[in-house]
Amino acid sequence: MILPLPSPLARTDRMLLRVGLRLTPPDDRENWLRCWQAELWHRHHPRDASRTGATDLYAGLIRDALWLRGESWRIAFAGTAIVCLLVLSGLLLLTSLPLLVLTGTPHALMLFLIAAGPRFLCEATLVTIVSFATASQYLEHTPRASMLTQLRSRLFQAAKSAFVLAIAFLLSTDVFQPIRSAHCFVAEILHPLGFVLLALCGLRWSFHDGGRRCQHCLRALASPARVGRPSWNFLDTNGTELLCTRGHGLLSIPEIETSWRRSSRWIAA
Amino acid sequence: MPVPEPCHTYVANYIRIAYYIARMQRLSHTAALILKALSLGYCFGFDIMAITGLPSGTVYPALRRLERDALVESDWEPDDNASANGRPSRRYYQITQTGKAAVLAASERYPLLTRLIPEKQA
Repeated sequence: MILPLPSPLARTDRMLLRVGLRLTPPDDRENWLRCWQAELWHRHHPRDASRTGATDLYAGLIRDALWLRGESWRIAFAGTAIVCLLVLSGLLLLTSLPLLVLTGTPHALMLFLIAAGPRFLCEATLVTIVSFATASQYLEHTPRASMLTQLRSRLFQAAKSAFVLAIAFLLSTDVFQPIRSAHCFVAEILHPLGFVLLALCGLRWSFHDGGRRCQHCLRALASPARVGRPSWNFLDTNGTELLCTRGHGLLSIPEIETSWRRSSRWIAA
Repeated sequence: MPVPEPCHTYVANYIRIAYYIARMQRLSHTAALILKALSLGYCFGFDIMAITGLPSGTVYPALRRLERDALVESDWEPDDNASANGRPSRRYYQITQTGKAAVLAASERYPLLTRLIPEKQA
């Protein structure tokens, strides 16, 4: 509750407080307003007469509100699937820039990509099959998620893998395309190898990332905590636990595979 | 008879402490200056501005960040005290135990820090 001030603030102060209030996230508004009303009032009525006027506080008032807004966005979006896909799409754009410079125009780039398309699809399919076969994870106690949640999770995984493959292709092309004119044969051999290597690493990261996300909200799990003692491997649980920041549950990852704990276990809240 | 802690627990604790110290040593000069001011008894936003010479646009967001990182905690003056003096209650900041450890680590990193800010007169 905000108590009324002993004397009203200046008009400029009130106007700035209104602007700052709009910038502040709704949950923090009352506290922010109380804090800044008091700060401005005390600035206008200093104990020590040498300090008067509150203009030096105006920048702080606005930046404080902006910081709170930024922090609320950080809390809301950090680790979400949307942010992951946005970062990947940014990387995709970044890796296409050198190729755009090499080809000259967007139309020429498009023609180049269409020409390279069949080879890319063939290599990407093979790499994806190999990655799925070697990196498929067995998750014990998978919760009975709704069809929509499962569909969302698979779509996210598919989108992430597609982005990773495209980035790997563009990156390998960026590296080997410039040497193609001078060493055509070397580039012809090294380009697919580079792509396969990058795609394998990328897909491995993609599977690893998928295994460390909440089964419900697809947020990256946080707060890793060591559980148990390594010397008790055969007697009790020993591993790491990761938490969903939204409280949907925790993922228990054993340190080593045992007969009673073969793999990670998702424990829903 | 208490069971002695196994060696790896000590190692794990050592690693944890080393990690915290490493994190504290990453404090910027500004954050270290503000923490130092708080540790010397300056507990209001513009007291810190006055003693450090930093602008309000730096001090207030830095205080929020330090509070988020649990190096600083804030509270409100009791309303009764403030209204008895005919003024609104203010938010004051206090340094936490973790914050004190961070100031110690920062003082080693920035040796001039201790000379920059005088202790607050009571």
